[in-house]
Amino acid sequence: MTDWISIPLVAFPLIASMVLLAFVSNGTERMRERLVAPIRMACLVFSLVMLTITTGMFFQYFGDVSWMNIAFNDYEYRTTYTWIESLGINWSVGLDALSFPMVWLTTFLLPVTIIATWNEKSGATYFPLLLMMGGALIGVFVSLDLFMFYVFWELTLIPMFFLILKWGGKDRKYASQKFFIYTFTASVVMLLGLITLYFLQDPYSLPSAGTMTGRSFSIPELIDSARASNVGDNWYLGAQMQKILFVMLMIGFLVKLPAVPFHTWLPDAHVQAPTGGSMLLAGVMLKMGAYGMFRLPISLFPHALYHFQLALMIIGMVSLVWGAIVCLGQTNLKKMVAYSSVSHMGVILIGIATMQPMGWAAALFMMFAHGIISPMLFAVCGAFKHHYHSMEIGAMRGMAKHSPWLATSMMFAWMASLGLPLLAGFVAEIMMLIALWHMISLDGWSIWWMVGPALVLALTAAYYLWSMQRTIFEGGEKGQPPANMVGHPIPDISNSEKFAMLIMAFFTILFGIMPWIGLDMMDDWTKQIFDGLIIFVGKGGA
Amino acid sequence: MSGVENVEPFGDGFIAALCPELIIFAGLILLIIVPNLGKGTVRIPGTQTRVMWFLGGERFKLTSNPRLPAWIATITLGAAFAQTILSFQDGVDRTAIVTDSGKQLMLVNGFSRVFELIFFGALTLAAFASMNRLEVKGVGPNLSTDDLYNNRRQADFYILMLTCGLGMSVVALAQDLFVLFIGLELASFSTYVLVAFYKETKAGTEAGMKYFIVGSVASGVGLYGLSMLYLWAGSLQFNVLAEQFVINGTDPLPLIAMGFVLVGFGFKVSAAPFHFAAPDAYAGASSPIAGILATASKAMGIIGLLRMLLIVAAPEASEDGTVWLTLLGILSLVTMTWGNIAALGSTNPKRMLAYSSVAHAGYMLAAITAIGAWNWDDSLAGDAGESAVAVLTALIFHLVVLVAFKLGAFLVLSILESDGDASRLSSLGGLAKREPFLGVAMFIFMISLAGVPPLAGFVSKLLVIMGIVKVAVGEIGAQIVAGGDLGLADVHWVWWLAFAMVINSAISMFYYLRIGVVMFFEEPEEGRGGPLPSGWQVRFAVLACLMVTLFMGVASDKLLEICEVAAQSLNYDWN
Repeated sequence: MTDWISIPLVAFPLIASMVLLAFVSNGTERMRERLVAPIRMACLVFSLVMLTITTGMFFQYFGDVSWMNIAFNDYEYRTTYTWIESLGINWSVGLDALSFPMVWLTTFLLPVTIIATWNEKSGATYFPLLLMMGGALIGVFVSLDLFMFYVFWELTLIPMFFLILKWGGKDRKYASQKFFIYTFTASVVMLLGLITLYFLQDPYSLPSAGTMTGRSFSIPELIDSARASNVGDNWYLGAQMQKILFVMLMIGFLVKLPAVPFHTWLPDAHVQAPTGGSMLLAGVMLKMGAYGMFRLPISLFPHALYHFQLALMIIGMVSLVWGAIVCLGQTNLKKMVAYSSVSHMGVILIGIATMQPMGWAAALFMMFAHGIISPMLFAVCGAFKHHYHSMEIGAMRGMAKHSPWLATSMMFAWMASLGLPLLAGFVAEIMMLIALWHMISLDGWSIWWMVGPALVLALTAAYYLWSMQRTIFEGGEKGQPPANMVGHPIPDISNSEKFAMLIMAFFTILFGIMPWIGLDMMDDWTKQIFDGLIIFVGKGGA
Repeated sequence: MSGVENVEPFGDGFIAALCPELIIFAGLILLIIVPNLGKGTVRIPGTQTRVMWFLGGERFKLTSNPRLPAWIATITLGAAFAQTILSFQDGVDRTAIVTDSGKQLMLVNGFSRVFELIFFGALTLAAFASMNRLEVKGVGPNLSTDDLYNNRRQADFYILMLTCGLGMSVVALAQDLFVLFIGLELASFSTYVLVAFYKETKAGTEAGMKYFIVGSVASGVGLYGLSMLYLWAGSLQFNVLAEQFVINGTDPLPLIAMGFVLVGFGFKVSAAPFHFAAPDAYAGASSPIAGILATASKAMGIIGLLRMLLIVAAPEASEDGTVWLTLLGILSLVTMTWGNIAALGSTNPKRMLAYSSVAHAGYMLAAITAIGAWNWDDSLAGDAGESAVAVLTALIFHLVVLVAFKLGAFLVLSILESDGDASRLSSLGGLAKREPFLGVAMFIFMISLAGVPPLAGFVSKLLVIMGIVKVAVGEIGAQIVAGGDLGLADVHWVWWLAFAMVINSAISMFYYLRIGVVMFFEEPEEGRGGPLPSGWQVRFAVLACLMVTLFMGVASDKLLEICEVAAQSLNYDWN
C-alpha cells in the first residue's frame, strides 16, 4: 500500500516548516514582514492538503481500508522502514480507529487555527511553527514504534515552547519553562519505564528485535506478546513488574493529560499562550496523554489497570470536580476555560476507569469532541483579548449589543462545552454517565460515585452561565462598555475569525447530531480491544 | 577478530600503526621550524664566508605571517583526524607496540582509534576556531616589540595544542602504567598552559594557576597510587596487573592504590568531589580551550578510568561483584546531582557549562558502574559480556557526540567573548536577533545537552540509560517468562542510577532552557546590540558541530557500529 502517512503527514510538514524557519530567521526585518503573506498562504495550503489526505482516508479513497473492521492491534496504512537495526528501532507508522480520529482532528485544527489567527504578529515564523507542531503531533499518533513515539512526544514540546515564549502574555517566560520542564520530567520517567519494558522482553523472541540487543521497540509486537501472556491470572511480566511499569508510564500520560494534582502547568501555559498555541494545546496536545494511555499501559497491562482502577477513578473524579470548582472562582476568562479543560479531561479518566466498553468509547469520543470544542473556546478567548485588551471577565460587558458575532460564538462555544444536547460534548458526557451507571449496577460499585458527575453538571452550567451573564448580557453601567474602552469604536471579530468559528461550530453540531460518523469506529475499536485483551472477555455491560 | 600483531618500535608496520601520532609529531616539528625560516646565515668557522642556512634572521614574507602556525596546526590535526577515519575503512587491525623484551607498550585497536577520533576532532575544531580568537597585530617590520611578542604567541599556542593531542592519543594507546602516565602528563601540562594562555583577562592566569596546582596534586596522588601498584605487582603492565588482581585483588595495598588512582583520573573527568577546580578553569580559559577541557580532556580521563577499573581491577576479580562498585555508584550519584544543582545557581554561562560537564561526568560514571556490574547475576554468565559491551558502546558514543554539542556551545561563547565578554548570562542577551544562526545553533546545543530528541544528545543519553537498564534487568525478563514474579527489588541497584539520570536530565532542563530564553527573548546588554565580530573559521566550526548534532540524532547507525567495535576491542583485552 502506498505510504500516505510518513511523508505527506509527518516528514513534509516538519521539514518544510524547518526550512521556512531557517530561511526566514536569517533574513532582515523588512524581508520578514514582506514574507508574512506568502508564508501564511503556503502553510494554509500545506495544512489543507494534509486535511484533504486525512479526509480522503476517512472516505476510503486511498487504498482498501475499512475503519469499521480493524481488529485489535491491527493497523491500516501500515508501513515500516528500518531505522537503527542494531537496537530494533524502526520507522513504523499506521492508523487504527484510536489514532485516526486524532490525526484527522490535528489536520482539521491546523487550517482552522491558521485562519482564526490570521493576523498574528511576526507571522513569518508563527505559521511555520504551527505547521511544525502539526507534523510532530501527527507523528505521535501514527508511531508504532516506542522510540519514534517518544521522539515525537518530546518534539511537540519545542514548537509549543517557542509559541508560548514568543507570542505569549506577560509571564510567558515562567509559563513556557514551567510547561517544558513539567512535561519533560514526566516523560523522562515514562522513558525509563519504556526502556525497562524493552529489556524485560524475552531476547530475540520478537520479529523486529535488534541485532545487538535482541529486543524490539515495535508497539504491535509488544502488544501481541503481552496479549499472549495476559491470560487469566497470568500477568504479562509478572504482577510486580507490571504494576511498576504501569505507574511509570501513567506518570507521563497523566501529567500530559493533565490530571489533578499534576495539572498546574496547564492554566499557566494556557493563559500565557497565544490563541493559536492554546487551540492546538487544548485541542490535540492534551489528548496525547489519553491516547498514550490507550496505546500503551491499557493495551499492555490490563491487569494493572484493573489493579489501579480505584486510583484512576479517584484521580478522574478529583480532576472533574476540582477543575469545575476552581472554574467558579476564576476572574480570568482564559484561566476558567483552561480549568474547564482539566475538568473535561477528568471525564476521560473516569471513562477509562469505568472499565466498560461504553466508558472507553465515551473517553475516545470526549477526546475528539473536546478537540473541536476547546479550540473554539480558546478562539473566543483570543478574540476577546484581542478586541478588549484584557482577559478579565468584567472587562467587557454587554457584548451582545456591540459585538454580536463574538457574543454568539462565545455563547455557542460555552453551551457546547457545558454539554448542551445536540452538540458534540453532550454525546461524550451522557455516554460517560451511562457507563458509570453500568459500572455501579453491574460491577457493584457504590451509588455515591454518581455524586461527583451530578455535582459537576450543575457546577459547569453555573460557571459558564455566570461568566456569560457577566460578559455578554449585563451592561457595565446601563449597557455601556467599561471605562477604558469609552470613546473607542468597539470592533466585532474579523472575517477570518468569523469563518473559523463557523467551521468549528458546524462540526460541533455535526458530531452532536450525527455522532455515529466518528463514534461507530471508536465503538468498534473498544469492542475489539475488549475482545483482544483476553482478561476483559465476559466483563462489561454493553 | 585476528590476533594481535606485534611490532617493535620503528620496526615493520610501526609507521602504519602510529600514523596519526606521527603526523602530529611531524606537524610539531614543522611548527617549530617553519616560523623560524628566514634569511639567516651562518659563518663558516675560520673564514669570512657566510652561507644561507634559512634559520633565523629576517623571516620570509610567508613564514612571518602570524596566521601560519594556526594553519599548520589545523591542517596537521585535520590530517591526523582524516587518517584515523580512513583507518576505519578497511577494519581496524590490532597492532601492539612491544619492546624487544616482549613488554607491550601500546596497543592500536578499535578502542584507541575511536578515542583518537575524539581527540583530533575536538582539537581540529578548536584550533580552527581559535584563529578568530588570538589577536594578530598585523605583519611587517613596523611592529612594536610587544606586538611581535604577541604574534610569537601564536606558534606557542598551537604547539601546545599539538602536544596536547599527542599526549591524549598516547593515553588512548597505552598498555603500560608508565606510558599512560607520560601521555597523561604531556596532555595535562599542555592544558595547564593553554588555560593560562587567555591573558586578556586576569581570570585566565589565575585559572591556569589554580588548575595547575590542583591538577598536579591530583596527578601526584595518582602517581603515588601507580607506584603502589608497582610495589604490589612488580610490573607496570596492564595485563600483568590484571592477572594479579584476579589472584589476590582483595589485598588492601592494591585497593588503596586504586583509590589514589581514582583521585587522579577523577580530577580529569571532573567528578565530584574532585571537580572544584573545573568551574574556575573553564571560566578562566578562553572558550575553545574550555571546550577542549570539557570534551577531549574528559574523554582522556574516561580512558584512564576504563583501563584502571575495567582492565586492571577487572570486574571478575572478586566473587561478589567488583570491589569498587558501590563506591563508584555513590560517586556517580553525587557527581551528577551536585553538577546539576550547582549549575542551577550559576549565572556565568561558562561556569554553567562547566557544572553541566560535571553532571555529564556523573552520567559517564554511572555507565562505568553498570559495566562493573554486568556479571552481577549468575544467570548472566551466558551473556558473555554482551551487556557490558552495550554500555561501553553507549559511553563511547556519548563521548564522541559530546564533542559536537559541548564544544559547539563553547565556540558560540567564544564569539561572544571576542565581542567583549561572555561571563554573564545577560551577555547572551538577544543573540538570536544579533545573529540568528548562532542563536539557533546554541539553542540546539543546549537542548541536545539536556537530551531532547531528535538530537545526538538524546540518542547518546538514551543509549547510556538503555545500557544501564539492560545490565540492571539482566535475565529477569526470562525468569518472569518462566513464571517468576519479580519486582524492582530484584533488579540490580544500578537501575536506580538510570532513574537518577532521568531525574537529573529533568533538573538540567531548567538551566539549559534559561539560556534559550535569554538568547531569544531578552535584549542585548548596553552597547552590545551591534553585529558580532566576524570570522568565518569559528562559524564554520560551529556549523560543523551543528551538523553532527543534528545528523547523529537521526542517523547514528554507522557511528554506533564503530563504537561497538571499539567497545568490543576493550572487552577482548579483558576477557
